[in-house]
Amino acid sequence: MIHLPSIAKIALRALRVNKMRSALTMLGIIIGVAAVITMLAVGKGASTKLSEQIATVGSNLLIVVPGSTTAGGVRMGYGSYQSLTRADAEAITSEIPSVFLAAPVISGSGQVVFGNANWATAVYGTTQDMLGVRDWTLAAGRNFYDQEIRSAAKVCIVGQTVADNLFGNANPLDQTIRIRKVPFTVVGVLNAKGQSMMGQDQDDIIYVPVTAAERNLFGRRIPGSVHFIMVKATSTDDLGRAEEQIKQLLRQRHRIGPTQEDDFTVRNLTQMLQLTEQASRVMSLLLAAIAGVSLLVGGIGIMNIMLVSVTERTREIGIRMAVGAKTWDIRTQFIIEALILSMIGGLIGIVLGITLAELLSTLAGWSILISVWAIVMSFGFSALVGIFFGFYPAYKASLLDPIDALRHE
Amino acid sequence: MALIATDRLEKKYDVGDSVVHALDGVSLSISAGEFVAVMGPSGSGKSTFMNVAGCLDKPSAGRYFLDGTDVIRMGRDDLARIRNEKIGFVFQGFNLLARTSALENVEVPLLYSTRPVGPKQRRERARLALTILGLDDRRHHHPNQLSGGQQQRVAIARALVNDAPLLLADEPTGNLDTKTSIEIMELFVKLNEEKGITIVLVTHEPDISAYSKRIVRFLDGRIVSDEVNRR
Repeated sequence: MIHLPSIAKIALRALRVNKMRSALTMLGIIIGVAAVITMLAVGKGASTKLSEQIATVGSNLLIVVPGSTTAGGVRMGYGSYQSLTRADAEAITSEIPSVFLAAPVISGSGQVVFGNANWATAVYGTTQDMLGVRDWTLAAGRNFYDQEIRSAAKVCIVGQTVADNLFGNANPLDQTIRIRKVPFTVVGVLNAKGQSMMGQDQDDIIYVPVTAAERNLFGRRIPGSVHFIMVKATSTDDLGRAEEQIKQLLRQRHRIGPTQEDDFTVRNLTQMLQLTEQASRVMSLLLAAIAGVSLLVGGIGIMNIMLVSVTERTREIGIRMAVGAKTWDIRTQFIIEALILSMIGGLIGIVLGITLAELLSTLAGWSILISVWAIVMSFGFSALVGIFFGFYPAYKASLLDPIDALRHE
Repeated sequence: MALIATDRLEKKYDVGDSVVHALDGVSLSISAGEFVAVMGPSGSGKSTFMNVAGCLDKPSAGRYFLDGTDVIRMGRDDLARIRNEKIGFVFQGFNLLARTSALENVEVPLLYSTRPVGPKQRRERARLALTILGLDDRRHHHPNQLSGGQQQRVAIARALVNDAPLLLADEPTGNLDTKTSIEIMELFVKLNEEKGITIVLVTHEPDISAYSKRIVRFLDGRIVSDEVNRR
């Protein structure tokens, strides 16, 4: 059995003899590996960003919105019909086991004033369950008390953006702000969630008790009605079941006959986001696969050059055979040579790929994520390509007839 | 016991319709320590005989015992091992590896040794072989930096490095001038007499065969004469 370091030395010398040729042969692998690494980094970055956004919206979310009304043949769009109520939200929470929490929402907006600062923001009337539904935690203060919801207490929880704009560095807790000229006491400050997928600032919000919103801020034509209900299912697997059960429950509660249409719609927010994420993942895998094809083409380049090399070095092979090289010795020598070509190409490709991905991130502002897995995989794949495409030339070399090889000019 | 013992060796080549008998019943016995010159015109079968004797080629028929071992039925890798351990080759065209130093050229057989030889030991043994041939100071030279005689001596060092008992030389002086040829032949005589290495040498020059102790002549694939040579 031939000594591996010695054989590697022989291979390196052979590659050095034809520097230009070796470099060009490696180029295929370099481009392939760099492309795989960059594509995976960009794809992974995009899907990670999406996942983060799913997490900020809150996971396993369903949104129940009222159906549309028809006035004189003119359909009014979702929410025009005030069919959903606070009681619906309570029923969904208490009667459906696959639902973790449900929070009703009366949404509106208004000018908010504190001292001489003022700010226009979104104001949501909801319950203490909202924070649980949206996986949102408090930076300071507390959630609403159940009693405050029932008594329509004028308290509020403010988002980070609102807190910054109204209070600056001051402590917002226990301060009284005016929402649409109605005084509310700040009891809690939310942690920052950042931008939503649509680019909205999710922290530009104030939560007030749903009852206080109805009584003091946004009067409702039908008492107890709400704009929509946000529902959190117990798990992702339960989402579908929860959706079905909510439909059944609400049809029952709204006394909708079997032939009538629903007066509400259940939207699966998480599913929509997950589909987007899945699409982006498929896209990035597709791109990586295309990059993988170029790696394969690089491998064919290696095979081509190795075949040329075997022909050129027939005499050397003959000499080695004459002094005792066995089939396996010759085979190993050429496979190692192909392997070194592809591995050096792979290493350069990894460096190039990482550089390219970083450039895309700093210059074009793309979000990237370089995973160790992608590096290990593409390096391993390039090594495999070397062995695979080096095998045939090596096999051919090892089966040469020693006399013919020695006579070869 | 004979080092080389062949019994009615035949080698046939199909050339279109006709069959060429490169070897046509060659029975020859060479004992250890002999210095044999194989002579004959081109096409007489002397080179084919050397290839078979060197385990590079297989005969079509007949038997061949090398150092008591029947090598006819051996596979490629076993023959490679036999060549590595028992035979040193010296060729007319030197057949050194280009872009490889003299020292590394001499090391090559040790690289393929069945018993592993470490890098340091390889270096030492190769240097020793080069020193014997007076080339220690040229060990880092590449073949294209050496004269023909020096290249042939590197090749002989390579043939000796694994302590093979048999040295097969195919027209070793064919590419050398007279003065260098004499040097090489005197070296062979020395190796044969001092180290007891068995030498079989193919040549068509009487001046060269004169250095041997026994001359075997081939013609049309047969041995036509086999006589002791008195120097």
